[in-house]
Amino acid sequence: MFTKGTLIYIAQRLVLIGFTVVAVSSVVFVGIHRLPGDALLSERLRGQAYQLLVHHYGLDQPLIVQYWNFAVGVITRGDLGESLVNRGLKITPLVLHELGVSAEVGGLALVFTIGLGLVLGVFAAVRQNTWLDYVLTTTSVVGYSMPNFVIAAFLILVFGVWLQNVTGGTFFYQLGGWRGDFGQLWLPAFALGFPYASIVARLTRASMLEVIRQDYIRTARAKGLRERVIIVRHALRNALIPVITILAPLVIGIITGSVVIENFFGIPGLGKEFAQSILNRDYAIVIGVFTMYAAMVGLANLLVDLAYVVIDPRIRY
Amino acid sequence: MATAAVVVDAQPIAPEQVSLWSDAWRRLRRNRLALVATIFLTFLVVVALVSLVWTPYRMSEIGVTQTYAPPSSAHLLGADELGRDLLSRLMVGAQVSLVVGVGTQLLVLAVGVPIGLLAGYYRGWLDSVVSFIINVFYGIPDILVAMIMVFLLGPSLRNIIIAIVVTRWMDMARLVRGQAFSLREREFIEAARAAGARPLKMLFGHLFPNALGPIIVQATLGIPAAILFEAFLSFLGVGVQPPTPSWGSMANEGVAAIQYAPHMVIAPSIALSLTLMAFNFLGDGLRDALDPRSRR
Amino acid sequence: MGCATRSTRARDARKELANAILSVRNLRTQFKTDAGPVKAVDGVSFDLFPGESLGIVGESGSGKSVTALSILRLIPDPGRIVGGQVLFRDQDLLQVSDEEIREIRGRDIAMIFQDPQSSLNPVLRTGFQIDEAMLAHKQANSRTAHERTVSLLKKVRIPAAESRAKDYPHQLSGGMRQRAMIAMGLANSPQILIADEPTTALDVTVQAQILELLADLNRELGTAIMMITHNMGVVAGLCTRVIVMYAGQIVEQGPVDQIFESPQHPYTWSLLRSIPRVDALRHERLRSIEGMAPDLLRPPKGCRFHPRCPFRIEKCLVDEPRLEEIHHGQIASCWVTMDRARAEMKADELRDISPGAASGLRPGEIIP
Repeated sequence: MFTKGTLIYIAQRLVLIGFTVVAVSSVVFVGIHRLPGDALLSERLRGQAYQLLVHHYGLDQPLIVQYWNFAVGVITRGDLGESLVNRGLKITPLVLHELGVSAEVGGLALVFTIGLGLVLGVFAAVRQNTWLDYVLTTTSVVGYSMPNFVIAAFLILVFGVWLQNVTGGTFFYQLGGWRGDFGQLWLPAFALGFPYASIVARLTRASMLEVIRQDYIRTARAKGLRERVIIVRHALRNALIPVITILAPLVIGIITGSVVIENFFGIPGLGKEFAQSILNRDYAIVIGVFTMYAAMVGLANLLVDLAYVVIDPRIRY
Repeated sequence: MATAAVVVDAQPIAPEQVSLWSDAWRRLRRNRLALVATIFLTFLVVVALVSLVWTPYRMSEIGVTQTYAPPSSAHLLGADELGRDLLSRLMVGAQVSLVVGVGTQLLVLAVGVPIGLLAGYYRGWLDSVVSFIINVFYGIPDILVAMIMVFLLGPSLRNIIIAIVVTRWMDMARLVRGQAFSLREREFIEAARAAGARPLKMLFGHLFPNALGPIIVQATLGIPAAILFEAFLSFLGVGVQPPTPSWGSMANEGVAAIQYAPHMVIAPSIALSLTLMAFNFLGDGLRDALDPRSRR
Repeated sequence: MGCATRSTRARDARKELANAILSVRNLRTQFKTDAGPVKAVDGVSFDLFPGESLGIVGESGSGKSVTALSILRLIPDPGRIVGGQVLFRDQDLLQVSDEEIREIRGRDIAMIFQDPQSSLNPVLRTGFQIDEAMLAHKQANSRTAHERTVSLLKKVRIPAAESRAKDYPHQLSGGMRQRAMIAMGLANSPQILIADEPTTALDVTVQAQILELLADLNRELGTAIMMITHNMGVVAGLCTRVIVMYAGQIVEQGPVDQIFESPQHPYTWSLLRSIPRVDALRHERLRSIEGMAPDLLRPPKGCRFHPRCPFRIEKCLVDEPRLEEIHHGQIASCWVTMDRARAEMKADELRDISPGAASGLRPGEIIP
């Protein structure tokens, strides 16, 4: 499966990702540094104290040099710099911790998306044109037409009114370790994942309907296979191929959607950090988080392309 | 004596000739969801136009009534945290959404279509370069870049549109490129080439009209994506600035007060959802109508 | 060509047991459309005898494939089998439960299809798809199934069978794919193998090989073959008996050599006549049958072939002919029959075969 060609492909893609991350982060780097004012200025330091700080952060050097130092730091030490607002706070450990938080929510959302989406999609396809199909199809359009914060707000309204265990408004995530309460996470994860689950359901349904009409399904039936085997072993694997196509934008959508959801629920993940840092003008963190995101997006794309290889034996790089 | 009879051979009934567009139009009309969606969208456009000249109250006027007032006969949707009439703000918000939605797609068409056509038709190094650029752009997390752009350039409607276009033009370009790719192999393109058609005419006179169907669908479905994008940005605080209302920022304000003034978040949420749904249903209807292979 | 000559096969045919293993009685299958039901198969009856190779011939839309699919109840929506019986081993296959027909499929009656490229699942290994046929009917466990698959692949003359079994369908050539499909069909040693245009999608040279393979397998294993095709040449090479279908009905039926020598139905006659001959004089035009395939939604009144028949008479426009025995073992449904057309209308010298050309009943003519 992982032939030499595939490995070369992976290497090429990693280079491309590296290039993209560098290109994009440098553009952002330059852009941000052209902004008037920064976190340091806003503290109204004057004179020597200010100069010291500027020197400490290397802001007195030409932009190119600054970027070079940054890039080298990232590549060799994984050092994303130091926060402008909270002196001495190293960005890399901060970002990694928040990445874990975001990944938990995002991962849960992904599970919702794929699990719910596939199951509902297959059901709708197998029960085509029944009332169940119509309900599912219409619900799915509604599902991806609603912004995730609307879904979140709706869920809060419903569950905040009827059940007392969810506090409305800002929602605090216990920072007590990795295993956050599922009870606290499911709401944001669901809001994050539901629109995408709807898309997956729709696509799976359409894809299954196509696949079921194929000749090889007829052959499978003519062989006397059970219906369930035909659906799962013959139809679904082929139907998944177009679904994998959207997996990349879907994962990216979850990644970026989490920005909104984290801010909505006050979850201390990367997205919240990003928005907050922009408002605080802590540009060092902004660049650090952004670089992290760019890398994640690139990796997500690559992983999806590799998933193709696993599912469809006709594809080899 | 046999009665006289004429030997008439049963001729197979030739199917009525229909063009793609009239056939598509007929199919679209039969799609009830799309029809309802169109009605709603027309209504929305009317509301937005009306709000240009009139709203029940001035949308930026603070304190026309008690803050957080629930819906009443005087204020059909209630008031927000500054006592502003929600209905008026919602109506103006429709302007914002529509302008963003349609504006971004027009620009995306202007940018994406030519690039896609060129890359798909000429292939070669041009296509390699364009594909590379497209792939690079796809590697960018769009909301983050848009946030930064808007922050850098200043939060105005124009900048939001630009930010959205910059991060999402690739969808159209990739689609058009794919269309050009497959169309260029077709016989009518060969015929046009043999007849000596000039490049510009080839691209816009032959390729473009034949790719028009998917392009329209993509643009129609791009509108709700853009509106959603803007709502996200406004929700995060980097959208249009007060006092201009955007449904996204209104929802943001509403969430803060969700426990005691739920009407504040419900109104813009429903407006957003219905609008997005309508565009999506319409886009779906167009896609089904234009796809010659679609099933009953 | 294979070593069996036509006469040997004919002799074998007459030696067959009288008991049919499959009897189709008055089968009717329709497809629902907005404009009404399309009568794809409208009253088809025939028998299949053990070990014989029966050809079903007809143009597109004649109902031959639908007939085959109906036997195994593989008709997809919006199609429906609306009448008739398919008798197999004292059971009417149209009445048995879903579970029972599922068991018969692939085990007692197997079917292979036209395009092996699209008929094999692209994401599953070829060998596995053959194993499946056995595993589904519990004819083997996974190890023995694999062994049998390899021996089957060898039997259908695929070289390097062991490694081919591990390949995916797209890694095989067209001919090999079709052989693999045949292996799949024979996996459980069925009594009947239905082959729906198995060679149409293949190159001519490969076609000949596949047909030869089928002939040999038919002889060796004694599996009855029902060969569906639009190509008379295929029938000539492989089959002992042939059924000719037109517009959803059987118009002629009988032993192959008899039909070829002396076809009785004008449609059969036109079909045979239209095969281009290498030794034909160059200035002769290609001879095709005039007109288009009939509309199965509203079939023509009377004989369904009359709008295209050069020999039609008044009766053909009004009364639907029934299948009658013309010569021994050969039945056809025609008011005129080629015997009479040859005697009275000089059919053999006919140049112009437009409708009514020989009988004088041209389109637009008024019958006194």
